[in-house]
Amino acid sequence: MKFRHLVLGAMAAFAFAPTTAMAERGTDGQLNIIYWQAPSTLNPYLSGGTKEVEAASLVLESMARFDETGALVPFMAADIPTVENGGVAEDLTSITWTLREGLMWSDGTPVTANDAVFTWQYCTHPEGGCAQASYFDGVDSVEAVDDRTVRVNFTEAKPFPYTAFVGAESPIIQAAQFADCLGAAAPECTEANFGPIGTGPFAVEEFRPNDVIVFAANENYRNPDQPAFSRVVFKGGGDAASAARSVLETGEFDYAWNLQIDPTLLAEMEANGIGTVVTAFGTSVERLHLNQFNPDPALGDIRSTAEAGPHPFLTDPIVGQALSMAIDRSLLVEVGYGAGGQPTCNVLPAPELYASTANDDCLVQDIDGANALLDEAGIVDTDGDGIREYNGIPMRVLYQTSTNAVRQDTQALVKQWWSEIGVDAELRNIDASVFFGGDPASPDTFQKFYADIEMYTNNFSGVDPEAYMANWRCSDIPSPESQWQGANIQRFCSEDYDALVTEMSRTAPLEERGRLAREMNDMLMQSYSIIPLIHRGGVSAHANSLGGVRMSDWDSELWNIAEWYRIAE
Amino acid sequence: MLTFTIRRLLMAIPTLLFISLIIFLILDLAPSDPTASLPLTIPPDVRADIRASLGLDEPIHIRFLLWLNQFFVNEPLNLLQHWTGWDLGGEGRTRVISWQTRSPVVDIIAQRMPQTLWVVGTSYIVGILIALPIGIYSAYRQYSIFDQAGTFVTMVGFSVPPFFSGVLVIVIFAVNLGWFPSVYDTTHVVVDWPSFVIQLKQMILPVMVLALQITSQISRFMRASMLDNLNQDYVRTARAKGLTETVVVMVHVLRNSMIPVVTVIALGVPQVFGGAIITEQVFKVNGLGHLLIGAIQGGDIPTVQTLTFIFAVLIVLFNLVADVLYGILDPRIRYD
Amino acid sequence: MFDDTSRKTLVTVRGLKMYFPIRTGLLRRHTGDVKAVDDVSFDIYEGETLGLVGESGCGKSTCGRVVLRLYDPTEGTISIDGTDISTQGQGALRKMRPVMQMVFQDPQASLNPRMTVADIIGEPLVEHTKLKKAERLDRIYDLMDAVGLNRDFANRYPHEFSGGQRQRIGIARALALNPKFIVCDEPIAALDVSIQAQVVNLLEELQEEFGLTYLFISHDLSMVRHIADRVAVMYLGKIVELAPRDGLYTAPLHPYTEALLSAVPEPDPVAHDTANRTILQGDVPSPANPPKGCNFCTRCPRVMDICHHEDPAFREVQPGRFVACHLHNS
Repeated sequence: MKFRHLVLGAMAAFAFAPTTAMAERGTDGQLNIIYWQAPSTLNPYLSGGTKEVEAASLVLESMARFDETGALVPFMAADIPTVENGGVAEDLTSITWTLREGLMWSDGTPVTANDAVFTWQYCTHPEGGCAQASYFDGVDSVEAVDDRTVRVNFTEAKPFPYTAFVGAESPIIQAAQFADCLGAAAPECTEANFGPIGTGPFAVEEFRPNDVIVFAANENYRNPDQPAFSRVVFKGGGDAASAARSVLETGEFDYAWNLQIDPTLLAEMEANGIGTVVTAFGTSVERLHLNQFNPDPALGDIRSTAEAGPHPFLTDPIVGQALSMAIDRSLLVEVGYGAGGQPTCNVLPAPELYASTANDDCLVQDIDGANALLDEAGIVDTDGDGIREYNGIPMRVLYQTSTNAVRQDTQALVKQWWSEIGVDAELRNIDASVFFGGDPASPDTFQKFYADIEMYTNNFSGVDPEAYMANWRCSDIPSPESQWQGANIQRFCSEDYDALVTEMSRTAPLEERGRLAREMNDMLMQSYSIIPLIHRGGVSAHANSLGGVRMSDWDSELWNIAEWYRIAE
Repeated sequence: MLTFTIRRLLMAIPTLLFISLIIFLILDLAPSDPTASLPLTIPPDVRADIRASLGLDEPIHIRFLLWLNQFFVNEPLNLLQHWTGWDLGGEGRTRVISWQTRSPVVDIIAQRMPQTLWVVGTSYIVGILIALPIGIYSAYRQYSIFDQAGTFVTMVGFSVPPFFSGVLVIVIFAVNLGWFPSVYDTTHVVVDWPSFVIQLKQMILPVMVLALQITSQISRFMRASMLDNLNQDYVRTARAKGLTETVVVMVHVLRNSMIPVVTVIALGVPQVFGGAIITEQVFKVNGLGHLLIGAIQGGDIPTVQTLTFIFAVLIVLFNLVADVLYGILDPRIRYD
Repeated sequence: MFDDTSRKTLVTVRGLKMYFPIRTGLLRRHTGDVKAVDDVSFDIYEGETLGLVGESGCGKSTCGRVVLRLYDPTEGTISIDGTDISTQGQGALRKMRPVMQMVFQDPQASLNPRMTVADIIGEPLVEHTKLKKAERLDRIYDLMDAVGLNRDFANRYPHEFSGGQRQRIGIARALALNPKFIVCDEPIAALDVSIQAQVVNLLEELQEEFGLTYLFISHDLSMVRHIADRVAVMYLGKIVELAPRDGLYTAPLHPYTEALLSAVPEPDPVAHDTANRTILQGDVPSPANPPKGCNFCTRCPRVMDICHHEDPAFREVQPGRFVACHLHNS
């Protein structure tokens, strides 16, 4: 054991300084983090990927971040502006942020309101291709009231104004560093993109794209006692299983991210007692979309569009309900997700305020009930081939998803259960880069939905579901006219629903917004055009000697890395 | 020989241009989208803007010509400027930019080259050094116990894929025994003896896995080539001359057997630069193989295009090297 | 047997057998032997040329190689210049190498393609003598002169020469260490007819000059008649007749010799047409499975009952003439 420690120690150049929790800055030595998908840049505005956003969150900060409960915590801002404290205008058309006093960039220069204004200009430049541009949707202008005060003006009332400059995906960058990098020049600023100057607890020492990042403690960090670690090595590469192994079995790393591996394998590794698996649940839901339009290949180019007409049987909520009842969600979790999943009956499972409890019947599998339901509705097997007919049309479905071991396991199980209620499913899987690729010329994208049923995970970032729930408006149905863009994948359309969306966009009080969101969720659920399966969480692991981890799925999971420390042995 | 080499080099130019066009077309026709790996929370119009900022909305021939100009004119000029310090007016020159990292591809390749050459290059050398004696002795004592054992081991080396053998050695040597690290530290710098030992330790596992494969291939080849030559008349002549067995085998047979083996070794060198995609992934060496597979997955066409083209250049180049070596080693072959 | 005491025997071979094992099956078990050389005995006198003739595959080349211990014999003794080499170890044998040399059939294949002429000729000198570099070069030039090669070609590679020149290189190499005994294994078979005579003449000249003893292996009876003093005829691993040249050619004793000689092309068209040829029927049996009794009994035009069950002994039937045939067993 001792020899092994020496080797590992030498390898990772650990400093074996025994320390107590919450000591001075930089006294806990080196922190080793492994992200098996390596960050390719540290500018989150040029890459929307989670890995880049989270790596950059060690350096770049926002006015405020979300903690593990989804509550806002001021970071660069002195406090959280609200209508009550006057930070948010009464008519909800502007929000005014005040920067902390004496806030400095890691290069020692002061942070001013101009940096925020510049950030807005940078990301909204028409030629920049900013990946986080949606955070500035509805922002009319950003102005510097004085050196420490930033006002964000919206084009119309914004009941939830915490989008721009909030969360890891919308950080403030230094105007001085990126001044020459506006628009088309953005990619040419390699030095700035690979080594942004920030206000976070760490500063970039070395960046190797898609490989490794070395961070050093930021000497100008606002809290003089933080961070406890003097160095962070942020290694990328490999696969989820080997990343888990390096934390839970060999102890070479302190923190590993996104460990979506076989749950039993993960549990075995954790049993070694070196590290702990942690999870955080956000809003990701693995769901089935039931095509409300007819995807019959005989229809050619008009299939899965309004012109093709409604689906022969999936528009009937009874059918959807039976399909949902036949599924054992707990078994799906056990087989494919382990700690990283929970059965759910809602497409909007969190935050708590928005989560409905009206649909929880689906948590228990009920094949007999599903059969009875279909029999009662007169949907029976008329020709004795074991497959029910709906108005003479046999209930055969094409069930597609992206290529991924867990999804294929799920597909196989679901097919089995559906065959027990007389529904025949043909399975298909498509490479993720094609399925999610959005190429309008490809017939295999999830937007085109040339199938009866498809399965994938979606979520929304931040804590406010307004924009997410607006996805299911009639106007958001993908069609050839919209180049197949639009998020209403199952082609759900209801005037009542659209009315609720409009109402929510005008409602500010949180309680009222919660009620509306739940109502919309229930309306979707009762249409059975969408069948939620698993509420998916992020799964990470950290060494038992690492303290202070408060994993959040509402923000970068490294959001509070400044508070992390080494637990003395 | 010189005219031959120059002629071959000139002939390589149209070949390579054609290869680059084929690569470009294949990559363009393949369904891939650089924004596909982004979270679904990023809305489609933002994705369209991203694609436009990458230049994807230009027609294909413009993009190809742009790449040609960037790769064949701008990059060499930049390199020249960097090495010599001359001012060649680099302001307006655009470089080949990776879509994933938004930084010049050539810089990333230069950054990745050392670890690939260290790990894959070392295993190539180690593999050859092990393979040659095994091949020679196996052929000299054909069907002996040693030869049978060698055949078995090389069959294992051929048939066991590195994603299995790599994980196996990690579980044995890194997890259970704790002798070697399972993750390669690319930032490690060798400055003194202890740091060299660390470098050695982190290289042992990946080199072991790769060398097994290389040894399998080359030792089989060496053995076959030796067997071809051992039965030749000139070997009998050498024995009739009364030479010692060592001289007969190591001078007469080996020198002739090495001709094809050396060319095979030369032809294998581009693979060293190509990295070992799976082994690099397993040990997180993050060299060129890892760069390539990551670029493919991320739909990063400029990186894939540039890397595959560099591999094509190396393959053409080392084919020429192999031919020239053949000419040098075998007096019966004359090119002029 | 050896009544001619005036001549010294250089090579004595007694009961020589060279069997190559046949291994078959999954476990490669030893299931039989190819009897390439099966109980052969002969002597070669100093300064003479013994011709060894026979059809392809009769074992004559193997016999030549095993006499020089390029193979380890299965049984029997070989002594050269008074030393028994049949069981010597490789080390001791190597010391004997300068005495005995070989000229091979294929001058292309028998020369190392990666060595220059000077290297090929000089290598035995490096191995067996202590000559200095300059002396060695002189010796190489002398040898090249002796075999009629231009000295200027010393640094060329074998493939740059014609077949005849290559065979000269092979001969020069064989001569390098002043051997007493040279096995010429079909030295002219691979050469053009016009070159064959040149090489044979060269061999004769060298024999005279250096007092060499040859075992001249060939399937070309007329060439053997030209060069050999005595001739041995081999059939299926055995010597069937051994006799002085003239006796053998004018009055062959063994039916096989007779058949061979009648197949020799006759330059005189009249004689050619009138010649009473003996045409052998059938193929040579496999040396892995020779017939019972006399090896030749399956094809012999004068076969008798006894031939099928008794192997005739190799005996001296007239002074200096040996034959293995029941016809001469009276």
